[in-house]
Amino acid sequence: MMRATRVAMFAGTGLLFALPGLLPAGLLNASIQALIAALFACAYGLLAGRAGMLSFGHAAYFGVGVFATVHAMNAFNGAGLLPTPLMPLVGAVTGLAVGIVAGWFATQRSGTAFAMITLALAELLHSLAPRLPGWFGGEAGVSAMRMPAWGLTFGSSVEVYYLTLVWVLASLALLYFLDRTPMGRLTLALRENPQRLRFLGYEVHGLGVSAFAISSMFSGVAGSLQALNNEAANYAVFDASVSAAVVLNSYIGGVGSFLGPALGAAVMTFFGYAVSDATRSWLLYQGVLFVLVMMFMPSGLTGMVASAAALLRRHGTAPVLPAAALAVAAAGLLGTATVFLVEILQRLFSQDYRALAAIAAAPPPIDLFGLRWLPGAPSTWVSLLSLVGAGALLAVVARRRWQQVQG
Amino acid sequence: MSGPVLELRGLRKSFGTTEVIRGVDLELRAGERHALIGPNGAGKSTLFHLISGLLSPTAGEVVFDGRRIEGREPHQINRLGLARSFQITNVFPRLTVFENLRCSVLWSLGYKYSFWHNLNKLADAEERAEDVLRRIGLRRRRNTPAGLLTYAEQRALELGITIAGGANVILLDEPTSGMSRSETANAVALIREVTQGKTLVMVEHDMSVVFGLADVVSVVVYGEVIASGPPAEIRANAKVKEAYLGQHADAA
Repeated sequence: MMRATRVAMFAGTGLLFALPGLLPAGLLNASIQALIAALFACAYGLLAGRAGMLSFGHAAYFGVGVFATVHAMNAFNGAGLLPTPLMPLVGAVTGLAVGIVAGWFATQRSGTAFAMITLALAELLHSLAPRLPGWFGGEAGVSAMRMPAWGLTFGSSVEVYYLTLVWVLASLALLYFLDRTPMGRLTLALRENPQRLRFLGYEVHGLGVSAFAISSMFSGVAGSLQALNNEAANYAVFDASVSAAVVLNSYIGGVGSFLGPALGAAVMTFFGYAVSDATRSWLLYQGVLFVLVMMFMPSGLTGMVASAAALLRRHGTAPVLPAAALAVAAAGLLGTATVFLVEILQRLFSQDYRALAAIAAAPPPIDLFGLRWLPGAPSTWVSLLSLVGAGALLAVVARRRWQQVQG
Repeated sequence: MSGPVLELRGLRKSFGTTEVIRGVDLELRAGERHALIGPNGAGKSTLFHLISGLLSPTAGEVVFDGRRIEGREPHQINRLGLARSFQITNVFPRLTVFENLRCSVLWSLGYKYSFWHNLNKLADAEERAEDVLRRIGLRRRRNTPAGLLTYAEQRALELGITIAGGANVILLDEPTSGMSRSETANAVALIREVTQGKTLVMVEHDMSVVFGLADVVSVVVYGEVIASGPPAEIRANAKVKEAYLGQHADAA
């Protein structure tokens, strides 16, 4: 490992350990969510990025981790099957077991058929769960309590944060080590050319099942941590949106690199935290972001950072920075224009607004960006068009500069 | 030279109603270099697929080292010590040349799918991979992704992957196809070097390669072996001349 990488890793870990002292309670809760999403995404990345198997139903393995843990917490009249800090082992074992069975079926096929099988398995659980209220608690779900253990009460977010952090870091370390074992390297070879591997003495189905089961095991650990954090479980965790979120997070971060999925998950969790309070259209923004990443930087955020670093090394900062600044400004203007349009439209078509408009003489103004906009006034739409125009102009200029830089 | 290391007995293969292998009997002695020649579509590659486990025969036996292996899985056959290459280059394109070779030696060194060994501390795996790397002449390209190699380099890597596991019987499917004259000459020298002390079976169209490398030549026509013997004998065989060599005699 390069020295710079190692320094960055220690600095990052140190920062994560210092976070509770730096963040307000709300953000600390978001950080716990981000850590859990990061582990889930890395587990998914093992399967999608390393083994080349695109699963569309990973919520299933996360979900069984959640439910197994909640039941383990409630075992022995609430005393718990294991001390609270060891609960994630329950998620690991359950994830592994379910992963072996599901993986045995799913990895019989590859490509689209594989994706469809994983989707079907997850949907099977999702539709079965409400019919088994004894296991999944029906609409109300199952709740549990974190029991004090090892001198800790686990009553505060800070303690839960550290519990989550330790498990996430340990799991990431194991996944990182796995990448450097014969098994990990053969997983890459499996992605590259399973047919050839068969003729080198390797049983590719077993190899595929192993990769699937290990990914599922760490997804189960992430599920456990979620159960510990929420002290509750609901079958909504099997929803297709959970499976979709881990795919989006991983690809936005970049499945090609080890920490890419974790980065994507962390960024998207905080993005959701910040934006979901401000607007009801945040899922739309998430989708737009995903489409843009896939179109313009298919290797994700980590891929973008890597290519930016390569550009800086090759051309130096002097020509690259102005071009980058132009690109960022163009993106900012176009982004603002998009948000402007989406928010105005969303409010214009909302029931509240239409009810207001029906009783008022003229369409009432809309509050946005700290200003009041009249939907009937030309100034509103001229502002939007000038944002788009300025953004497009800057984008064209930025594009020219990039071409000059790259010569 | 001792008894047969690989033996085909009455081997047949049909796809639907079409019989492509129509009763092949063949014996390979340990240490010999055996070439399969014949017109396109004669069934040479199908024979390779039947031996290596990609296809199961409709009838007949494949006996390897005294064990019947027909219908077994490719990885089981490989573990017994029989390795094959492919007509179309078949490597791990986004892994480096070195990783391609290291992946090929892990099984035979007993690491299998270990998830507790640190790959970079497996000195024997590294040594074996480096050794093959040196022998196939790709040391300069050690850290290049295999997909970025030139065609001839990829063929050399294909050969390296095939022999890296230490199999005793090597099946090469058209190892020099698509190569220039000088590349072919290099490839022949390389094949001769890396298959020393091993049994080699190859499908080959280039007659200079066949007659330069093989101890025994078998001629496959329409799913049958019509002749088998030393190169000189095959050259003189009237049946072969008529069926096959006639079209190529000028070129050879």
